[in-house]
Formats: sequence, C-alpha cells, structure tokens
Amino acid sequence: MTNCHSIRPLLPARAEELTVFEARTRAEHVAACSRCATESAAYSRLGQALSVMANLEIEPAHGTLERVLVAIGRRRTGVTDPRVLAAAGSAGALVATVVVARAVRARRGRPLDRRQSRPGVRHMALPRRLRLPNVPVPAPALARAK
Amino acid sequence: MEVDRELVEAAQAGDRWALEELVRRTHRSVYTCALRLVGNPDDAADVTQDVYLRVVRKLGGFRHEASFSTWLNRVTTNVAMSTLKRRTRRFAVEGAAVPTDTRDPAPDPAERAEAVALARRLERLVGELPEGQRQVLVLRDIYGQSTEEVANAMGLTPGAVKVRLFRARERLKADLEAAEGGQVVALAGRRRATGRRS
Repeated sequence: MTNCHSIRPLLPARAEELTVFEARTRAEHVAACSRCATESAAYSRLGQALSVMANLEIEPAHGTLERVLVAIGRRRTGVTDPRVLAAAGSAGALVATVVVARAVRARRGRPLDRRQSRPGVRHMALPRRLRLPNVPVPAPALARAK
Repeated sequence: MEVDRELVEAAQAGDRWALEELVRRTHRSVYTCALRLVGNPDDAADVTQDVYLRVVRKLGGFRHEASFSTWLNRVTTNVAMSTLKRRTRRFAVEGAAVPTDTRDPAPDPAERAEAVALARRLERLVGELPEGQRQVLVLRDIYGQSTEEVANAMGLTPGAVKVRLFRARERLKADLEAAEGGQVVALAGRRRATGRRS
C-alpha cells in the first residue's frame, strides 16, 4: 500500500483531475487508511458546499441595478448585429478617406506663394498646415458616453 | 440563474424591455461572482456595470453555443480580471450581505439545507483566502470552469493553477475545521456555563 505522505497531494483533487492510475491509487489507499478516509471525506464535503455556492447570490448595494440600467440605456445603440456594425465601420472609413483626399487635392490645387512667384528667387516649399473642409467630425463613442 | 432563450433572443433583436429584464434577472449573480473575484463591494459594483456594457456590445455575437449564464460568467471573469490588473490591492469582504439560495429545492431538503448552511459559512472563509488562491478556487470550484479556462483568464499556466488550487483547498479545509471546532468549543462552553447556573 502507498504511504499517506505520497497520497496527501491527491486528496484535495476531484476525480476528473486525476489520471486513472492516481484515482485508483487514492481509492485503494483511502479504503485501507481511516485517517486519509476522513481527510478525503472532508474534501468531498467541501467540494459539494463550494458547488452549492454558485447558486447563492449576494444582494448588491442599493442603487446598483439602477446604475447599470442607466449606463446601458446611455450606451445602447439598438444595433447589435455585427454585420451591420461592420458595414457602418466601412462606411465611416470611406467617408474619412474621401475627406482626406479632398483636403489633399485642395492643397495641391492652391496657387503658389507670392514669394515663389518672384523671378530669380527660389524658395523651398514649406509644409503647410493641412486645412480640412468644414465637415462635421463624428464624436468618438467614449466622448459621447461622457 | 436560469435565463430563457427567448428573452436573450429578444434582447439580441434590440428589444429594450428584454435587455433590461435580462439585467434584472442576472445582476445579482453577476455581482456575486464579481465580489468573490475582486473581493471589494465597490469594485464589484463597477465590474457589474462594465459587464453589462460589454454584454450590450457583444450580445449580437452570442450564438447560444453555451448557455447564456455560462457566457455571462465568462464575461464577468474577464472584466473582473481586467479590473484587478488595473486597481491597487484593496480587499474587504467583511460586511457582505448573507447570500440567498436561488436554486430549486433538492430532493432531500435536510441534506440541501445542511449544504446551504455550510456554503454560507464558507462565503466568509473564501473571502479570507489570499487573492490568487481565492480567484482560482472561485472560478474552478464554484463556477466549474476548467483548469485551462482559469489559466487563460488569469494569465497563468495550468500547472500554476493546479498548485494554487491545491493550496486553496487545503487552507479552506483547515479554516473550516478551525471555525467548526471553534463553534463546537463555544457551544460546549455555553452549555457548561448554563449547567453551572441552573
């Protein structure tokens, strides 16, 4: 028979956590050793009580439910289908691309600087600030939530 | 926590009432799981709110492959773990309300009552475990997640989960025996005192 010391690490384990060999070794030892049988029974009782705990609920502090309902009411868009969300994302990306493309085209099409038009004087083209057309920019979701 | 499939589907279709009803039916269970994982009532309330915000975002992708409660438990676990990574260590479960049983009555009411009474005593003892051991025990032994799931949620190896689980169970059994031994001693002392007076 295996000694108690080598069986001890197997006692708290559930049956499905052990290999077939470990399960058999434990069962044989527990059948012959009253001390380890008591330990094993205590772990079984503990395991059962812990699984019961999944069905015990603690009442949250007053106002928690209301807080959650307000938060999801604020955040909810009514659209939950991922395909619709993906289509909306693609449309947004397309709009952003068009806006940037128009801005770049407008910048290239602008007449040269007065300094550059003077004969004999060459100026290096300086990077100008990108001017975007006056299109409303969609607010990020986080800012909207705030 | 049992949730009708019809209710979940209605919430997925954008029915506002169904979504709110879903929250009403499940929020205690989510809060309880969050409290057991984060160990602090304020953080648990924050986690509960974040869980439902994530549920609103992800509900459309829920395909009923697992039960809704299993899915909700996973979402709660992930949100709670993210919260724990962010926050500093604060831990105080004391003062938590006494848990109430929501399961249908078992065939043997006496056995069931004994298990529920023991589970209520355990609630406090589980809360007193070191954080890492407590989380592993809560996910594995209370909510029945697999060792691999627990390892993924906590960013540990399955071996590390097993070690923590072994220590948690060993310590919890010892704590329970000490608590029950203390109760027996206290009861015997009270009986002796009553006997002397009479």
